[in-house]
Amino acid sequence: MPRNPKLARRKKRRTVPVPTASMGDIAFLLIIFFLVCSEVSQDAADIQVTLPASARVEKAKSGAVARVAIDRDGQIFFNGSRVDSAKDVELGIHALVSTTVSEDQRHVQFRCDEAITNETFEPVLKAIAEGGGILDAVGTKKESTP
Amino acid sequence: MKHREKKKREGGIPTDSFSDIAFLLIIYFLVATTLVRVQAITTEMPSGDKAEQAQSEKTPIVNLRGGQMFFNDAPVALQDLEERLLALDLPARAPEKRVVMLESAAGTPYHMYFEALAAISGSGGVVAMVEPEK
Repeated sequence: MPRNPKLARRKKRRTVPVPTASMGDIAFLLIIFFLVCSEVSQDAADIQVTLPASARVEKAKSGAVARVAIDRDGQIFFNGSRVDSAKDVELGIHALVSTTVSEDQRHVQFRCDEAITNETFEPVLKAIAEGGGILDAVGTKKESTP
Repeated sequence: MKHREKKKREGGIPTDSFSDIAFLLIIYFLVATTLVRVQAITTEMPSGDKAEQAQSEKTPIVNLRGGQMFFNDAPVALQDLEERLLALDLPARAPEKRVVMLESAAGTPYHMYFEALAAISGSGGVVAMVEPEK
């Protein structure tokens, strides 16, 4: 009896299992990677600052040992916490910088509202310098006119 | 008397959902992470005695007063200030000769100070703050 040609051509269906046993391991390795690489922001989200603009700003190359901010009301913040005066900033930076060994660990990120006058920001800049910090004045990129 | 024999149960930790939990954690990190690298002007300001030693009569000075910039007491626009600072070729000088004094009158807004700071540090200068006389 002749075989049915359609049946003869039909290939055997093989079920190919996807190896999922190591998926959990891969996922946890990714989590560990994110945990190690992440830097938790110390800036308080509610600090209201309008940054000044300049064509000369560049992306900051290294991390900051401390973050200082002056909001639009002239309040001074050190690592997200409000401080009373520039002297507190100087003492805080001095304490952090004194334990550092390299230049990269002396950078202090400074955010200040563009409308704040020099009576407020100059003592803070002086405090950063006196504390031994390298100033990273944060701003926004202004497109240069041709 | 018969002692009741405890049934030995094989307790297994259910690990089937571990990968789901792990991937949910990854998604959380991906959503919650902000990969921001701030844009800034980096400058080291000499302080105290260093700042005073660095200043002399020949040290260039930038003044900010009345909403205008002055370079060595001559009024300049921001672009002119940048050009004049670049003409000094500060990076070729010894570190102690790169100092540019920055003085601001009362009421100077930060955005103006920031632009002057950017011009000085961008031309290779070291900013020395001039404190107002008391």
